[in-house]
Amino acid sequence: MSGGRILPVILPPGARGATGGPWRAPTLRARHGAVLVLALLLAVGAAEAAAEPGRPSILGTLWRWTPLLLEGFVFNIAISLLAMAIGTVAGLAVGLGLISPNPGVRGVSWCLTQLFRNAPWLVLLFFVMFLLPFEFRVGGVTIPFPGWIKATLGFALPVMANTAEIVRGAIQSIPYGQWEAAESLAFSRRRTLWTIILPQCVKRMLPPWMNLYSLVAMATVQASVVGVTEMLTLVSEVHAAEGGRPELLAPLYGYALLCFFLYCYPIGRLTARLERRFQVRI
Amino acid sequence: MRRSLIALAALAAAALPAAASADVLDKVKERGTLVVGVKTDYKPFGFRDPSGAIIGIEPDLAADVAKKLGVKLELVSVVSANRMEFLRQGKIDLMIATMSDKPERRKVVQVIEPLYYSDAVNVMLSDKVKVTKWEQLKGAKLCGTTGAFYNKDVATQYGPEIISFDGSEKPLIALQQGNCIGYLYDQTFIAGKLLDAEWKGYHMPLPGIMETPWAMAVAPGEDRFAKLMSDLTKEWMKTGRIVELEKKWGVKPTEYSERMYKEYKGS
Repeated sequence: MSGGRILPVILPPGARGATGGPWRAPTLRARHGAVLVLALLLAVGAAEAAAEPGRPSILGTLWRWTPLLLEGFVFNIAISLLAMAIGTVAGLAVGLGLISPNPGVRGVSWCLTQLFRNAPWLVLLFFVMFLLPFEFRVGGVTIPFPGWIKATLGFALPVMANTAEIVRGAIQSIPYGQWEAAESLAFSRRRTLWTIILPQCVKRMLPPWMNLYSLVAMATVQASVVGVTEMLTLVSEVHAAEGGRPELLAPLYGYALLCFFLYCYPIGRLTARLERRFQVRI
Repeated sequence: MRRSLIALAALAAAALPAAASADVLDKVKERGTLVVGVKTDYKPFGFRDPSGAIIGIEPDLAADVAKKLGVKLELVSVVSANRMEFLRQGKIDLMIATMSDKPERRKVVQVIEPLYYSDAVNVMLSDKVKVTKWEQLKGAKLCGTTGAFYNKDVATQYGPEIISFDGSEKPLIALQQGNCIGYLYDQTFIAGKLLDAEWKGYHMPLPGIMETPWAMAVAPGEDRFAKLMSDLTKEWMKTGRIVELEKKWGVKPTEYSERMYKEYKGS
């Protein structure tokens, strides 16, 4: 024991990691939300102090605009949910296409996945916004095609590509022996896939899929760039309506941040829990 | 996925003729709604109230147009980047969105003459500064925004010393801290600021100079609608409607709108 170093032979339980293995990464907890609230209140306090007397209070201003801002936030949620639904269904199809026995289907699926997974989301959004018409006629009836639906489609494209990769990864993570066993029991390829492989995939796909959802929910604010009236657009419009006072910026955007945290935090927690539950134990 | 892409392409193709249909006035009447693109971040010309409704001078003008046509009004929020595109696509029938009249814009959309409003260059001054003529600003320190095209012209013509800052917030702070006696900027912007309680004790006593007129616009080729809008604009000027709206929204009437009112009143 010349170096004073304890040999890693009979370490006490719980001391793992002390020898250079991976340390446990910090996790997001509810108290971090409390820190966020505190930061918002501090920003409000600072703004309140910077404001001259006789002007409407910052909290009062936030409160007055809350119904409108939350209306915008509901819009963000609607866009994210719809984009997720469309993208998941399409992504499942493309993901299955990635492992199809047909080389043509494989190639097309691969192209779609690579294209939409690697393009910046905002670029896709611009494409969809300016290439699709704002209304279309079917048999003399004009059906409007509002900007937020277009934005939803724009978000559904990357969701599709990412879901496809999640599906492909999950299918490939199932031991190959199961395919062979199924084949030896005279299961068709389709039956093997739908009744043996995919049911096992669902729980493996769930955590990364929910993770993807969190990302989509937060990405919806990008729709403000292409003129969809969602929360971030309204935040800047509220700022303008309040006379563009600079001390209002931090509280207003902090408020939007808090809304997203409160929405995404439970999803993150649930994802972590599911991850633990479905962990592959060795 | 492939099938849905083809379906999308087919929808896009089907919609193209719809965009290029005959007369926008007929379409408006058939629809029963006039869709007007306005700003939502430009107080008091177009902004939101806490209920989310779009209000201001330009929404009021839009309401006048809808009333004239006997249809309902729908306001669409536009920004500078998409207002002309929306008009060309047919997403909006009419644009009243603080757009400065520029030759290159006239190539893209059809501008309504006479021009309904005009921005100008002006100075926001403390109430303590009593001036009536630009010449009285000779040698005075004014805050300005870097890159504003008129800074140099004003300096050479009227002789104030201009201290430039980035954006519009910094010069305002400098003004409050007493680094200068006034802020040289767009008149419509200053008018909006003066509505805010923060700027009580400031005023805009000088007449606006170097006017930059604003234009309403319709899609290119909509001559019938353009004619109707042109007549309506003259009527607004004749009845003093625009001056009236400026007063309603707390803006000091601009030189331009008062001049137009005077010019058309007798006609």
